[in-house]
Amino acid sequence: MAIFPSEEWFQEVRQVYNSDISLHSGGGGACETTAGFYIGDARYLIEFAGLTCAQVRQSSDAELEESDFIIEMPMASWTAMVRDVQQNGKASSSQTLNSLDLNMEEGIARSPVDDQYKQDLFYRYNQNFQDFFNASSRVETQFEEPS
Amino acid sequence: MSEEMTESTSEDEPTQGVPEPSYDWMGLTNQWGTRVKPGEHGLRLGDLNVGIYGEIPEYWDDQTRRPRGALPRAGIPPLPFSLRSKHEMWADCAADLYEEAIQRRWIPATEVPWDTLEELPEDVERAVCQICTELSQCANTELEIITYWQDRMSYGYFEVKQYLATATFDCARHLEVLRKRALSNGGGLGVESRGRVNRMILESSGGWTEAVVYLYLLRGTYITRMLTGLLSFAHNDAEAFIYSHMLEDHARHLTYGYDHLKYAATHHEGATAIMRTLLAIGEGHMARELKDGVVRSAMAIIFGGGIQGGRTYGMERYLLLVREYLEDYLSICEWLGVDRKESLHPMLKSYLED
Repeated sequence: MAIFPSEEWFQEVRQVYNSDISLHSGGGGACETTAGFYIGDARYLIEFAGLTCAQVRQSSDAELEESDFIIEMPMASWTAMVRDVQQNGKASSSQTLNSLDLNMEEGIARSPVDDQYKQDLFYRYNQNFQDFFNASSRVETQFEEPS
Repeated sequence: MSEEMTESTSEDEPTQGVPEPSYDWMGLTNQWGTRVKPGEHGLRLGDLNVGIYGEIPEYWDDQTRRPRGALPRAGIPPLPFSLRSKHEMWADCAADLYEEAIQRRWIPATEVPWDTLEELPEDVERAVCQICTELSQCANTELEIITYWQDRMSYGYFEVKQYLATATFDCARHLEVLRKRALSNGGGLGVESRGRVNRMILESSGGWTEAVVYLYLLRGTYITRMLTGLLSFAHNDAEAFIYSHMLEDHARHLTYGYDHLKYAATHHEGATAIMRTLLAIGEGHMARELKDGVVRSAMAIIFGGGIQGGRTYGMERYLLLVREYLEDYLSICEWLGVDRKESLHPMLKSYLED
């Protein structure tokens, strides 16, 4: 059983997302972006290319600074979001990336180089990332115990 | 009397009675032998910018519909293209946004899960329908101002014209889907907007860049916040689908708008000073529109789950939305080199004060 967060977990989600086009509600079209994720102490890069999630891998701070935008929130919020997806088959309205961005004082998405053009990619491809995390409902998940 | 036609006896002999064609045009080209290959993402519009076809001049003095790279023909009457400088419309992202727009199209008739609509309390349904009415007028304004200026843009910058064609289609789709939402759940359209900012946008006759300042920077940034708020408080999957897809389309429009303003600011002397003046005027109209009670109370009802909740939490949430919009707006202005923090309209400034 894959542990959240881990590279193995992200790879399993990627496999589910890429193998079932019915999970792609975000316009169904191409998405070209690389986003960085701060999840606890771990860093991940997720790359979308065309109609698929091309790559997910653990990364470094320096690499994340090269990404189009970064999503960062407290570990407890990440866990709550993934648990919610597991329970409901998709994020409930208060646990979508959009809602979390709205409800956290500083938002959850930012451009590492304060580039408005790249920051907007979070809105342009919002549904692709939401669909990706919704796909995790099909991945049997174990949660990392808080240290 | 018709002449008797005889059939040709060989492929080399032309049919009698049919004038022999001239092939003079065949040698007329600026550049022949071009072989653009599809890349990883297919054969995209931007990939075609090779050789002379990729030469995008700062000023396009041809007033005809000659495609960029084709040979001009003498004697073609001029057309009234008044926007002929690159800085008046250009954004480097236009070709990519065109491709993205046609790939990420969606169909309200069949893709919105209309069967998930459920009866809402009447005050909430009225608020949703009022916002649909308001946003459809915004979409209509965007559509009209784009088509007005698109007609005046010269063909040298076809990437922008083609991208804007997709933006107008997006606006038409927004009009469609908002009307469908309003008329599909027991409600109907609400009251017409006073349209103060719509009029300001439509009357921005100085140029396309001036229209973009109002349409995307000043008002579009606010609409993004409205759509993210509506998406967060969607009552069912149908509304979530509608708002999330509108948000993606709208974000694409803002990407072009911000990118164009950045291009104008960095390539045209005096552009930032003009933007500053326009914003000083426009902020007053925006402030009065924000003060109007219809949208703010409708949004508060949606956020608060009814009139009762709208008076407390809902209105607080709406005022936070306006505050976030203004923070976004000021940050983008700064990025453009048009700092508005100090001189922001006092009525708008009041939203930023605790």
